[in-house]
Amino acid sequence: MESIFSFCFAILIAPLLPAVIQKVKAYFGGRQGPPLLINYYTMAKLFKKGSVYSTSTTFVFRLGPVVGCATSVMMLLFFPLAGIAPLFSFHGDVLILFYLMGLGRFFTILAALDTASPFEGMGAAREAFFSTLAEATVFGILILFFRITGSLSFADFFAGTQSLAITGAYGAQLILVIVALYIVMLTENSRVPVDDPATHLELTMIHEVMILDHSGPDLALIELGAWFKLLFYSAFLSMLLNPFQLENVWLNGLLFYAVVTFIYMTIGTVESITARYKMNMVPKFILTPFVLVFFATILTMELIK
Amino acid sequence: MDTMFVSLAVILTGGALALLFARQFTLMKVATIATTSAGCLLGLVYSLSNLLGNTGTIEQSWHWLHIFTLAFKVDSIALFFLVPIFTVAPLALVYSYHYMNDKLKATRTAVNYFFFAVLVASMAMVVTASNIITFLLAWEIMSLSSFFLVVFDYQVKENRQAGYLYFIFAQGGAMILFAAFAILYRYTGSFDFDTFATIPESIKLLVFILAFLGFGSKAGIFPLHIWLPKAHPAAPSHISAIMSGVMIKMGIYGIFRIYLLLQASTPLIGEIVLMTGMVTGVLGVVYALAKQDIKQLLAYSSVENIGIILIGLGIGMIGVSEQNQTMAFFGFAGAFLHVFNHSIFKSLLFMGAGAVLHKAKSKNIDQLGGLMKRMPVTGRTFLAGSIAISGLPPFSGFIGEFLIYYGAFHGISNHRVPFILAILAIVSLAVIGGLAAACFTKVVGLAFLGEPRTDNAAQATEAGSSMTMIMILLATACLVIGVVPEPFIRLAFAGIKDIPHISGYDTQSFLLIVRHIAQTGAIFIGLLLLISLFRKMLYIKKKIDSGPTWGCGFTQPTVRMQYTGTSYAAEMIDFYRPFVPVKKIYTGITRIFPGKTTWNTTVEDVAEINFQQRLIQPLLKILGKLRWIQHGKIQLYIAYIVLAMIILLLFIAVP
Repeated sequence: MESIFSFCFAILIAPLLPAVIQKVKAYFGGRQGPPLLINYYTMAKLFKKGSVYSTSTTFVFRLGPVVGCATSVMMLLFFPLAGIAPLFSFHGDVLILFYLMGLGRFFTILAALDTASPFEGMGAAREAFFSTLAEATVFGILILFFRITGSLSFADFFAGTQSLAITGAYGAQLILVIVALYIVMLTENSRVPVDDPATHLELTMIHEVMILDHSGPDLALIELGAWFKLLFYSAFLSMLLNPFQLENVWLNGLLFYAVVTFIYMTIGTVESITARYKMNMVPKFILTPFVLVFFATILTMELIK
Repeated sequence: MDTMFVSLAVILTGGALALLFARQFTLMKVATIATTSAGCLLGLVYSLSNLLGNTGTIEQSWHWLHIFTLAFKVDSIALFFLVPIFTVAPLALVYSYHYMNDKLKATRTAVNYFFFAVLVASMAMVVTASNIITFLLAWEIMSLSSFFLVVFDYQVKENRQAGYLYFIFAQGGAMILFAAFAILYRYTGSFDFDTFATIPESIKLLVFILAFLGFGSKAGIFPLHIWLPKAHPAAPSHISAIMSGVMIKMGIYGIFRIYLLLQASTPLIGEIVLMTGMVTGVLGVVYALAKQDIKQLLAYSSVENIGIILIGLGIGMIGVSEQNQTMAFFGFAGAFLHVFNHSIFKSLLFMGAGAVLHKAKSKNIDQLGGLMKRMPVTGRTFLAGSIAISGLPPFSGFIGEFLIYYGAFHGISNHRVPFILAILAIVSLAVIGGLAAACFTKVVGLAFLGEPRTDNAAQATEAGSSMTMIMILLATACLVIGVVPEPFIRLAFAGIKDIPHISGYDTQSFLLIVRHIAQTGAIFIGLLLLISLFRKMLYIKKKIDSGPTWGCGFTQPTVRMQYTGTSYAAEMIDFYRPFVPVKKIYTGITRIFPGKTTWNTTVEDVAEINFQQRLIQPLLKILGKLRWIQHGKIQLYIAYIVLAMIILLLFIAVP
């Protein structure tokens, strides 16, 4: 029961949180910013609209948003939000989930290429490239977590005796992981400094340019998928950052979402104070967390005793 | 065992029928396809029933030419490798009914069907042989028959060259194999496989490395893979399917068999196999990404998949030497399952490429586009195959890779070398997976989606019914294995049950995980349907327009402005540059009013370049000095033969 409630709450709140980023950016820019419920309004607006499809496209173009959204929802189904047991979980689920995310990306890329637009091709090529680099880091993190917890499931990472806590025995390694995961989050969710979700110059974008031709409910599904994905990554970070597990479920949930909101605020801050990197800098930036994670893994070998 | 020989006899009869009816084109095709396929199905029933039933090993032998013994032995490993042989062969044959439709080449087609039957029979003999003579005999027949299959279009110069290159690699590899077996014979004095374990421990590593190189040249391990991307584009597509889907796995079988027979205790063997697998896998997929010729790309992707299989085997071998049963069991099981899966989806993809080549008259991605609308069945099945080969759930490729991951994760221990190797294996599997997805989004996205780049592509039509039927069947198999993996995982488990180190491993807890994977797949598909339904509802009574793709304000887009395969892969290739050299030819702008200039880039194979510069050219230099031996006078050649025999007689010590 708790699990279902937690999942539904996450689905409902996912569109709210990105507005926090916009608020923070507005604050830095000295503006008032959009209302916090902006994304719900956008959703309602997009759902009401019809669509324009390019004559070049096939069924793949229509399938893209659905697959993308479904894979993101899968992540939330298997993740122990606020430490509450997820709806589904088994030993090995992280592998299938990260591969499902790959499936979502596969279809997003195909949908972009389906339009025959050179801009979207460019975005697709970059998305494919950067995600291969980020994948290595993700699996590096999984190796480390398997070392620490002996498990390959999100639920077990944060449950049991050897759970991942920053105050625990492996706190030092976890700090490295948190930095790494933060960078992966920025990469996978197309945030500054890898990608700029706000720019309107097509040549500089990755994710936004891939969805140029989507409109109406299709676009809404893509946006929803993106918000769920961002929520998943920040929930992951939040579970690592927050060492406290309170007895009261409600208080614990409150604390969890407070940390999540804090992470969203940091994203807004990063976007306000840094510019996006030149494209040739991006691969170096994405490879940095891999080195961090690899080093953290080596540390667990306990070479010096 | 007798059933298998009956099935081989039927298969060979099918091949002979082709020669017999060579003049009646359609009759010949129907007769040979029906007979050979029937033989294959009989063999498939035999291997599956014995694999899943609880029969032990079966042996049989005949005397041949008075002094040799042809010995066969069927254990679970042999049975498992028989499954892809007998599965892919009939499918490729049925596919060929519409693919081989050039009546002017009737004789040649008949010969092709004959060698096809010989190839299938010889592969079945390779995996069941149990002494050196039988094995090498079958191995050579396999290499030669596949050579004739490759040079089907021998009038084209490139095809002949590709054929010769394949021939050299096949025979060069066989030569090294002969060396390995000669050493074994020297120590054991017996042709029998079962005696190999008795040789001294110090020799085992040498024998294994020789055999690894010999079998590796067939399997296509890096850097011995260079015949693959040449031979596959030259061969007809159903031949590519059986060669890439099944024949190169004979190399894997050889490596694994020799490993089991030697029973070496050194951990080095597993480490060599694993590291070769990682290099082969990553570089294979990077080169696949760099190629624009679909069949060449698929050939490199086979190299990649051989890499994945070797990673699995390596994990398994390290597991054995570390006495980590979980690691060993899942490494081997994953490799076996991937052998089977790869034979399915790679055949599918090669058949799709063949259909494209037939109908759109090109296999170059940069000249295709928009085929999904014009060839809906080929396009959709190719998409399914692409998802499967990229290892994405809920399709078949993921299941094999999951087993390997599972084994590798459980191999993370405190021992330094296995620890580092297991980590590297996991990371390289992840990188391979990402790059494979990039590679196959490129093929599907640029060849099948978008707008056609040439008139030929625009006028393409759907392939013949025998071709589409087989592709639908294979695509369905890819999905079924992914959604209902348990029977196929059990098949892989049955395949490895005769490996001594891991017999008796309890798989119950893992089968529970398998059920969870199936459940996850079902949840995902359910979610997909739910969201699709939701989307459908949102579109009820909505205005849906269609128009040109938004060109960002540009009013006159042309199809040539689309992203090409070259541009799609450019950044990724650049990242791996030291290993993937790109040759650029640019004539440049010379005058104030520039004339026509050209810009050409080709991705060169680093292994090929080094082979040429480091091995072939020095060899030619040295051997060129010995040219005088070849003078063309027959009588002197006969003298050479006599001389050689006398010298050999001196070496054979009479006891």
